[in-house]
Amino acid sequence: MRILSALVVAIGMAVVATAAMADPEEQWPRKDSLEAKVYRGSIVFTHYCSLCHGVTAEGNGRAARLYTPRPANLVLSEKNDAYKELIIRRGGEAMGRSQFMPPWGKELTDEQIADVIAYLHSINRYKEEKPEKTE
Amino acid sequence: MKYISFIATFIFTGSLFLGSLAHAADVELLQKSKQFSQKALKIKVGDSVNFKNEDPFFHNVFSLSEAKTFDLGSYPQGQFKKVTFDKPGTIEVECAIHPEMKMTIEVTK
Repeated sequence: MRILSALVVAIGMAVVATAAMADPEEQWPRKDSLEAKVYRGSIVFTHYCSLCHGVTAEGNGRAARLYTPRPANLVLSEKNDAYKELIIRRGGEAMGRSQFMPPWGKELTDEQIADVIAYLHSINRYKEEKPEKTE
Repeated sequence: MKYISFIATFIFTGSLFLGSLAHAADVELLQKSKQFSQKALKIKVGDSVNFKNEDPFFHNVFSLSEAKTFDLGSYPQGQFKKVTFDKPGTIEVECAIHPEMKMTIEVTK
């Protein structure tokens, strides 16, 4: 009986030790998973972009009233990810759009830009709704 | 007679306007190390503030306050942009690129 309980304890300890040694990178969600990117991107968006584009990304942020035309509704944006990366990095003026869209290329890291694009991709409904004119 | 009184009124109004301009001040406010150089500033109606970017990256200056609503856009190191405050009130000034950057300007008569 003693041998059996010692064996159970040993197996239990081995399981706990194995779990403790597991690589945190392997835990779900992985750092490079889409879920993690979208989550991080939502935080970046809220912190830097929601002022103009709004918490819901529909172009209705608290500063939106300052601008004509209004900030883009990113939920219904027809622009692809490559265009979004360019306008985020270079700013609106360099892309022939609003001079009030700042160039974020030196402010955000490559990872933050990729994350916010992943987030915007995840909330985009253009293909479902296809409005006549979104921006 | 009407013509003379019109000219007199014009000269009087003009002198008042020029007098107010003569007393208007230009204040320089720096944007450095992701902070405004002053957290609170008191100025008079008609005074101007030059917001100068001294950081090696873009800054923006905007305000949504009723007394003065503006957005100076984004500009790089070494450049400055000027705002003249023409109404009394308290103006909260922010940077759209760095949400932690905030300061207040109190404009009095």
